[in-house]
Amino acid sequence: MAFALLQPPLRRDHCRASLLRLLRKRPVAGRYANTRTFGNRASSTAANKINAGGGSSSSSSSESKSMNASQCEVNKFSSFASSWWDSRNNPLVGMNPIRVKFIRDVVQEFQFSNKANQHAMQLPLHNKQVLDIGCGGGLLTESLSRLGATRVFGLDASSKVVEVAKSHSFHNSSRMASIGNITNVENADINQSGLTNISYVGGVTVEEFATTWQLESQPNVPHNELFDVITALEVVEHVPNPSSLLHAATSLLKPNGILFVSTINRTIKSYGMAIVAAEYITGKVPLGTHDWNHFFSPKEIESMICKDSNSMRQVSVSGMVLKPPFVNMQWYLSPEDTDINWIGAYQKQH
Amino acid sequence: MSATLQRHTTRQLTRAKTTLKCTSLNSTFASRCNSTSVSNEHYNVVVAGGGAVGSVLARLLLDDNVGGSNNRRPIKIALLEQRPSPPSLNNITSKTDSFPNPRAYALSPTSLSYLGPSVLQSLVKSNRCGIYDSMQIWEHDGPAQLHFVGDDLEEAINDGRLVNLNTYLDRNKDRTKPWLGAVVEDASLVSAIWDELRTDERIDLLDNIQIKSIESPSYDQMGKIEPPPHVNITCCRHDETVALSADLLVAADGANSFVRKCVGNFPMVTRSYGRKAVTCTVEIDTSKGNWGMAQTAFQRFLPHGPIALLPVWNSGDQTDDRIYANVVWSTTPSEADHLLSLSPSEFVSTLNHYLCQGPNVNPSLLPNSVSSNTSILTKVAKEIDSLLRTANTALTIGTWTEAPSRNFFRMPPRSVGVVSPILGFDLTLSHVSSSSVNGNRRGGYTSPRVALVGDAAHTMHPMAGQGLNLGMGDVNVLSNLVKEAIDSGMDVGGTDLFLDRFNDDRMLTGWGTVGGVHSLHEIFGQSGSVPISVTNPQSQGQIESVGGIQGLIGYSRSMGMNIVNGIGPVRRALAEVAAGAVPRGLP
Repeated sequence: MAFALLQPPLRRDHCRASLLRLLRKRPVAGRYANTRTFGNRASSTAANKINAGGGSSSSSSSESKSMNASQCEVNKFSSFASSWWDSRNNPLVGMNPIRVKFIRDVVQEFQFSNKANQHAMQLPLHNKQVLDIGCGGGLLTESLSRLGATRVFGLDASSKVVEVAKSHSFHNSSRMASIGNITNVENADINQSGLTNISYVGGVTVEEFATTWQLESQPNVPHNELFDVITALEVVEHVPNPSSLLHAATSLLKPNGILFVSTINRTIKSYGMAIVAAEYITGKVPLGTHDWNHFFSPKEIESMICKDSNSMRQVSVSGMVLKPPFVNMQWYLSPEDTDINWIGAYQKQH
Repeated sequence: MSATLQRHTTRQLTRAKTTLKCTSLNSTFASRCNSTSVSNEHYNVVVAGGGAVGSVLARLLLDDNVGGSNNRRPIKIALLEQRPSPPSLNNITSKTDSFPNPRAYALSPTSLSYLGPSVLQSLVKSNRCGIYDSMQIWEHDGPAQLHFVGDDLEEAINDGRLVNLNTYLDRNKDRTKPWLGAVVEDASLVSAIWDELRTDERIDLLDNIQIKSIESPSYDQMGKIEPPPHVNITCCRHDETVALSADLLVAADGANSFVRKCVGNFPMVTRSYGRKAVTCTVEIDTSKGNWGMAQTAFQRFLPHGPIALLPVWNSGDQTDDRIYANVVWSTTPSEADHLLSLSPSEFVSTLNHYLCQGPNVNPSLLPNSVSSNTSILTKVAKEIDSLLRTANTALTIGTWTEAPSRNFFRMPPRSVGVVSPILGFDLTLSHVSSSSVNGNRRGGYTSPRVALVGDAAHTMHPMAGQGLNLGMGDVNVLSNLVKEAIDSGMDVGGTDLFLDRFNDDRMLTGWGTVGGVHSLHEIFGQSGSVPISVTNPQSQGQIESVGGIQGLIGYSRSMGMNIVNGIGPVRRALAEVAAGAVPRGLP
């Protein structure tokens, strides 16, 4: 399982070719000049890694440079990589529709002044720059891209899962390209299902990303390069220093930008459901995925984000509850029941 | 009308232009002409089959639940129909010499709501609905009857568990009772929906098209890092090959679904009922003033199956004095063939004879051979038998007095003539089945990037009128899942998520309905009397009892019907199930 991604040579070449093609497809407009630099840097690291044979030693050595990422957590998620898009094995696939619904609703309510705006309904992320922290295999990243985002960055401390994400969205976009639906990305509005506007960055923490990003962004265009929407879903319970992650994330927000955070609450109920039931009884979540002590309540996250910067404000919190009889992974949003899984939105003030 | 015409000509012109010079067209026209003549188009959903189920699915997929044309969901679908596209509803209704087509469905209020306000309004206004707010079901060899009225659904409507169709229509004051359902002809239904579909540019209506081959992903390609390839459909249209691809292909092409056979991952459980249905449209005798009957559905159970008399064409302003009804008579194949061989006048008199009979006393629970015996034991048994039968009759009379809206047995109106061809069709039970391989499902309602809906997935006995209603349930669930996927920016067929949810929901409901209807068929097939034969009119007259276990089952059924009819909450619960209401206690 852990080395499921170490593919035979043929597949590796294929993978590399796909990466290179993806790179070539990037928009090279001046607005994205520094974006490109960053993307190239990260991708070439990944490509080198593949060239080197993709051995576990080389990948872990590069990953261990990360400051705010626990090595054992990174390895854990790397081992989930091959089944990331399997809805029968990864509960996050079933959770994705309601996470997106929450994001849509909040963005529509707090970032659109005109509710009747055409794009608000069709493509709620139209004209928005999005950063997905802890993108994993790209479940949410691809969704955000399809909802009209101008550009989505997918960031993950594990470079292995990012390879999965890249490969998945590469196949999606190449298929759409072969049909001819995305020949003209600029004008493709409604029917654009291609995913060429995603950039994945693997083996990098948010802190590193933020530092590089701000170094490279130019002072005369202060807000253009920052993000309208940043998502850190199911991430804070897996990092050693969540507060530092959240701070780095808020530093990348535009004024009016919204940070979405989801995690699991630290309650008796969550111990019973998210750990005992999900991991030990039903096996829906791999054993040892979660540590109850690293869960956070909405209050704790709010204080981490809003305490020492007055610019941040919590705008919405909702529980994510699994519908009985729990087998078909159907979730719904419940503003009252934040006892187990919950998601919150935090907006940067002017 | 003129708009439709203009639109039609524009499309014709566009197609002509394309062949000459495609590059000169602007992008809007290019995308339209691509859809009608050029291949390699990709869709979110391709629906195979533009009949009742397929077109309602397309309509629901385009139904955004939000007002205003600016708020349209970005979805792209294609509807493939083998036949030429149906005429508009106006063309059908403008013919004055027509009669109701016997190819018709009884739709529950919930299914009617899936047609949407505008389709329902146009059907009602053009007098193409057969509304019934009362339903009477009775047996040939017992006193019991079931009598449902629209008021039985009042509670569910007030609780918000059942749609209130009055909100869809600006209804006449005198017809505000809730409907139990409506009978709609297939042709009118499909035309009315296509009329609405033609106004939406997000759908490509491809008529005269034959699917030649389907290339769908294998089970092994699901849940992998590389997403499963799209389903590719190769078709033939006007002697041209058209290649389409889709996130999801939906088979709505009927009981002999070509898509189901072509994809080949769908094992079916089939069982013949050994029954055949005969259907036609009859004209009702109005000389004795049967106006009140025009909104009642009648169903009389004979041992080989029921005869149903369903109202049609009663939703308009009744300028015509003639009343029509749809007859569905299920019986054994030999009797059905006999009925089909009759002349129209013979058919009408046979129909009137078997349908227009009131309730009866239960046949004796003792076989005829016992009655000649004169021992004390036999006399006691006979007394008990008579007591039981009297008790059931008394129970029947007791249930009649409960509410003024549901009073005595009503004799169905007599028919005066057959106005349509008499059609026959075989009845079979079928339902998709699934198995498990290494804990992964094979078969069922879905396979990778393919889903079955309607008759392609299940067929059943028409006695409870649930066949199309179950199909409507399929398309409602599926359309909601597709819309959820699109709103979440996900590929509906790219993971097992949405298809598994669809399958889980429909397997439960589908087997429940098919099994329930089959049980009804079995229970009503048991009779305490010797079955009367349609083919031999001389055998009528005295009911001959067979007694024994069959007699007991017949008696219990009769008693059961009385109990259901007499106990309000039980009867209302049954009416709600038939209407498609959400069960009490569910969110």
